[in-house]
Amino acid sequence: MSAVLEAEGLQTYYGKSHILHGVSLTVGEGELVALLGRNGAGKTTTMRSIMGLTVPREGRVKLFGRDTTGKPPYRVANLGVGYVPEGRKIFGHLTVHENLLVPPQTKGPWTIETVYQLFPRLAERRTSKGGRLSGGEQEMLSIARALLLNPKFLILDEPSQGLAPVIVQEVMRTVGRMKGEGMSILLVEQNAFLALELADRAYVLSDGEVVYDGNAATLADDRARMEQLAGVSHAAVDIRH
Amino acid sequence: MGLLLLFNGFNGLIQGAFYALMALGLALILGLNNTINFAQGAFMALAAYFSFTLTPYVGFWGGLIIAPLLAGALGLAIETTLVRRLYNRKDPIYTLLLTFGLAFIMQDMIRTIWGAQGKPLAIPQFLNQPLSSTYFFLTGYRLFVVGVALAGTAALFAVLRFTRIGIRIRAGNSDLETISALGVNIYLLRSANFVIGIVFAGVAGILAAGQLGLNPNMGDALIMPAFVAIVVGGVGSLVGSLLGGLIIGLASGITTAFYPAASEVVIYIIMGVMLVVRPRGLMGQEGLFE
Repeated sequence: MSAVLEAEGLQTYYGKSHILHGVSLTVGEGELVALLGRNGAGKTTTMRSIMGLTVPREGRVKLFGRDTTGKPPYRVANLGVGYVPEGRKIFGHLTVHENLLVPPQTKGPWTIETVYQLFPRLAERRTSKGGRLSGGEQEMLSIARALLLNPKFLILDEPSQGLAPVIVQEVMRTVGRMKGEGMSILLVEQNAFLALELADRAYVLSDGEVVYDGNAATLADDRARMEQLAGVSHAAVDIRH
Repeated sequence: MGLLLLFNGFNGLIQGAFYALMALGLALILGLNNTINFAQGAFMALAAYFSFTLTPYVGFWGGLIIAPLLAGALGLAIETTLVRRLYNRKDPIYTLLLTFGLAFIMQDMIRTIWGAQGKPLAIPQFLNQPLSSTYFFLTGYRLFVVGVALAGTAALFAVLRFTRIGIRIRAGNSDLETISALGVNIYLLRSANFVIGIVFAGVAGILAAGQLGLNPNMGDALIMPAFVAIVVGGVGSLVGSLLGGLIIGLASGITTAFYPAASEVVIYIIMGVMLVVRPRGLMGQEGLFE
């Protein structure tokens, strides 16, 4: 299995605060990898380091076998990396349709028409301002925007954050469908059980270090371990049903 | 009195159209390039001098099109070699100092090449005719200035509304990082935006020169009101900058009818009142300054 992402020994800082202390992770072709951890463990920083949004001070990022360390985010994205940022980052004063015109048009199955077919709700709201959408609609828009790059690798940062359970299920179904279509996916989630249901492998971050690296199912079965590592609460378990 | 008011009001609107054109260019660059471009006035003057030199060969109309593009090309060179290096420094003071210095250099270049003496810019004869003897102040040129300002503004808003590059400029104004992560080459986008801003300055400069003539410092007189227009209209809003320009132009014109000595200071009074009553300006983003 060839690797889509190989991150090695990432040391990333925000100003003077040292966030990542040598994070290494890989995502293989067609694999769905979950990245778990408590708030402030460094999950988003890891994503930002991979995208080039925050350049790691040490370590290397390789995407599709190419070294992208220090490359600007648009270069990384144009290699075929779709990024769904934490908090969705919708352009609130642009309409839904205008939001979809921001990423460059690329060759492949995903066009504005096909993402509207995937999320019919967005087609209905195409003239609404992004800022007026519900959280779930914003999440769909954020995913749709990333798909327009026809990515081979999709990075999702907390897609279920702040959404009602029904919507979370829908978002997760979409993520599952993308995996089914052969996309490689790195999924950051606070809601560990949700992520582990879909994932092949998992990493757990704690204080900027990888504390678990292995099979997703094994981790899901070992509830005690999970509570200790990722701070999974029982509330998070309940949301599943 | 009615005619006097109409005369000064119309004069004010023309002035306002200048300010609005200038302010739009400044506001574009302030937004996406996060740069307070103090050289905008020097670019205005430079475009006017370019058109002065070009007019004998390509005529007034050719100059009006080519000279702003030449200024834009120089703007592109400056943006890619100098301004771009400072984007990563969050504090806008760096680009402000850079462009402040550039303004002096460009003004001295103009003085060296074309001389310090003022020069007239020849405009087509038919634009100089008054439309009628009662409305002697309504020369073709003044209507033409308003027409160009309207057309330029309409073109800009059409680009921002209907083209991908315009939509990206609007998106990038609010979240540059995210458009980059979505695959948009932000260096290219910022260069394009900078050039559009300079072309606007260039057109405004030529229009001003057609009426007031050329001199190396001509930009200075217009750049301060353009900044005032942005503050009154609201930082971050292009529509606001447009309105701000028209409002202060009109206010200045009407003041001339009653108390000419106050016609310049009135725009600063409006700005002061605005800053006290509504610091974000007419259409500025909430929370930026209050």
